[in-house]
Amino acid sequence: MKDRADVAAFSLEALKKAGLEKSECTLRYARRDELNLDSGEISLLRTTDDVSLAMTGIVNDSEGSISINKTDRESISDAAARTLEMAVSSEPDAANDISPNQPVREFEKGPEAPDLDLMYERMRGFLEFTREKYPSLILEQVILDFTRVSKYYMNSNGVDLRSRRGWYSFTPMFTSKEGRETSSFNYAGVSMSDLAEDLRKCGTIDTLMSQSTEQVRSMEFSGKFMGDIIITPDCLDDFIQLTCMYLSDYPMIKGTSIFRDSLDSRIADPCLTIRCMPLSEKMASTYFLTDDGFAAENSTIIEKGILKSFLLSLYGSNKTGKARALNSGGAFVVEPGEQSLEDIVSSVKRGVMLCRFSGGMPSEGGDFSGVAKNSYYIEDGRIRYPVKEIMISGNIRSLLMNIRGVSRESVNFGYSILPWVRAGEVAVFGK
Amino acid sequence: MIPVDLADYTGSFSEYTELRVQENRSLNVSLVNGDVMSNSVSTVSGVSARTCSSGFWGFASSPLIDDESIRGVIAASTRNSRFLSSREKRDGSPLPSRPGSCSIDFSTGKPRLSQKDIIRFMKDIDAMIRDRYGRIASRTLSLQLLDMEKSLVTSDGSSGYTMIPRSILYVSMSTERDGEPVQLMDVHGGRGQFEDVFSGSEELGSKLEELYGQLMRKAEGVHPETGIKECILDADLAGILSHEAIGHTTEADIVRGGSVAGDYIDMQVASSLVTLVDFASEALGETCPVPVYMDDEGTVAEDAVIIEDGILRRFLHNKESAAFFRATPTGNARAYRFSDEPIIRMRNTAILPGKSKLEDMIGSVDDGYYLMKPSNGQADSTSEFMFGVVQGYEIKKGRLGRAIRDTTISGVAFDMLKTVTAVSDDMKWSCSGMCGKKQAIPVGMGGPAVKCMMNIGGK
Repeated sequence: MKDRADVAAFSLEALKKAGLEKSECTLRYARRDELNLDSGEISLLRTTDDVSLAMTGIVNDSEGSISINKTDRESISDAAARTLEMAVSSEPDAANDISPNQPVREFEKGPEAPDLDLMYERMRGFLEFTREKYPSLILEQVILDFTRVSKYYMNSNGVDLRSRRGWYSFTPMFTSKEGRETSSFNYAGVSMSDLAEDLRKCGTIDTLMSQSTEQVRSMEFSGKFMGDIIITPDCLDDFIQLTCMYLSDYPMIKGTSIFRDSLDSRIADPCLTIRCMPLSEKMASTYFLTDDGFAAENSTIIEKGILKSFLLSLYGSNKTGKARALNSGGAFVVEPGEQSLEDIVSSVKRGVMLCRFSGGMPSEGGDFSGVAKNSYYIEDGRIRYPVKEIMISGNIRSLLMNIRGVSRESVNFGYSILPWVRAGEVAVFGK
Repeated sequence: MIPVDLADYTGSFSEYTELRVQENRSLNVSLVNGDVMSNSVSTVSGVSARTCSSGFWGFASSPLIDDESIRGVIAASTRNSRFLSSREKRDGSPLPSRPGSCSIDFSTGKPRLSQKDIIRFMKDIDAMIRDRYGRIASRTLSLQLLDMEKSLVTSDGSSGYTMIPRSILYVSMSTERDGEPVQLMDVHGGRGQFEDVFSGSEELGSKLEELYGQLMRKAEGVHPETGIKECILDADLAGILSHEAIGHTTEADIVRGGSVAGDYIDMQVASSLVTLVDFASEALGETCPVPVYMDDEGTVAEDAVIIEDGILRRFLHNKESAAFFRATPTGNARAYRFSDEPIIRMRNTAILPGKSKLEDMIGSVDDGYYLMKPSNGQADSTSEFMFGVVQGYEIKKGRLGRAIRDTTISGVAFDMLKTVTAVSDDMKWSCSGMCGKKQAIPVGMGGPAVKCMMNIGGK
């Protein structure tokens, strides 16, 4: 086959020939160059090529899917035959479907190839910076990579969507140690379109490393109180993900989601607005195609506290009778508020600056609890000291309703843009 | 079936090199309230090479498994390691070598079932739940099968072939209490292909009955009191404790990254009742859930005794960390996909059984909790850990009381292990574990019940 689009077209034709009434295929080529630093030393350069071909077919409302990572004609034809076998083995479900006809679209974003020499220079610069500025900090593992992905989606309704994306990601993980005193490990992640900036200046990396060095002297806390938490941008993504979990296919189809009847109702304080912005130009690693065969669009999940959208796939939408999400989630942007971070901190009588949360899976009812990691005790409007071995617990629903402030400062991680958020009525307890 | 013999390519090695061809085959069928929500299979295969040049590593992989690709990844990997060695200087001391060979195949000898048979098995279980249990608001079944087939050859003389399958069925039931959903899940299966692990849907009948009974009790349950409590951790929780809170802190790369375990070698870190082992392929006369005979660096695998009678004895190593710590590698370097490089991983980690009876241990607690099933777990370089707990009971005056709702427990492992006052004489393995350190990979976790002090997160 001459080019990659021909492979996708051949796959779709193979599904049709196999006898599937409705069919779709997603062909994804990925190449990744990854520079690794382990235990404080540059250690590994890794280059991986991969391809995945996902083929789905529907016959008499029964669906089967197969995924392979080969693109020769024989492998594709075999996979198409197996897809039919999978579909006829399954049970009919009228909710099984493929996306309807849409205009042919092609998207591009980011560089096509990495600058390996510059990757090395940036990594070496980062290593020298941390050795000099933070001598007690150990870089446990640091990964700087460049990923380029070409994706082709085609289906039997005539949909033909293509995208090519390229971006750098940087993920340092570190711990500080002075004698036998050890901090909790911490990590950061950022994505970017180029390496114009020193890596230490990306996202909150320098702040987190600085905090790490003081966290070797974290203090225990005894007792229990109901107070505020200020969720940092590094930690906020986790809480948004937890919230979105209740808006997605499984709990919505099962009928157990705590927000299943809350569309267009207030589920959060009016100061909270959360958007999914996969088309944002401000972020480096976003996406153009949804998992269910649509061109992605930006969407609003919560607008001034009102739930505006579930995160349902085409199948989830058909199953529940509720609207399909305009995208596949992620790429979160939380609208900044009007208060400065300084004012938010000064308004807290007693609470915790929650910098990382190590929590159990929340219950279906929304209860969550876990350990506040790399976090700080706040009293009378001042950050007092780093804490260890303290837990927090609450409920997602009450947490959202008790949001008391959103900072005007935000951090662009390249995959989300997030501010600091203050929430009240959270139980905090130490030993 | 992937090519087994890679010996022809050793002539292309110019540095220390590992060459691996691998195929992962997976099947996923999910039913939600009787509807087939997922019905998919996946086959991912390819070739990778990892090369060490003057102490620097190069890695390359390709999904194509032909002569050109195999030679191509060897060349690309060598190029990558030399890219680094031409720019950085490091003491490239020789890597320790414990070469060997193996050929292990856990494929079933029975006729393979069709996809239709497998879906029928799932539908039958779903129907049992629907027909027998009136107070179920929703039910979810998920079957996940994985075959990992690998061929390996290394420049220091190792060669091996393994096919290690795993078949896991997750059964989840939800009910409602005061309009709020309450859920409980159970996991069945383990090492082996579907035909060797499941003989029929009816065999699960008693386990479904038990899950339903536990769910009904949980629905009437209470939130636990917060604070430090005397607890009995059942086998599943002791297993995740062994893996997350202790095992990870003793992985040599984590130790080099600052783990507190680095300061504790040959020191008392636990009650003398605690011996903790990372088993390679056999434990107490049985094949482990995730048997490893040779790791992905070609090291012949053997058990690693991490804690012996409460004393921290060793870390877990790959070849590079073994050279750094002047230790012997025990076969802990593992990779999940063909495109993953081997990193230090646990295999089957468990506290060894003790001499106490579980009933006596429960009977000895005046006011505490019997904690049975975890959801997820995380740990820290400080050995501070957190586990979600989804099933447990109060213990009042030596007797089990009310069920508890979902909660979280936490502690510092090397403190908490010193509070262990009893270890039960039985042993259970959890076979469904997936460890998420950089790459996901199947692991076994297990243990007896353990009596200790634990910090409970309530409401």
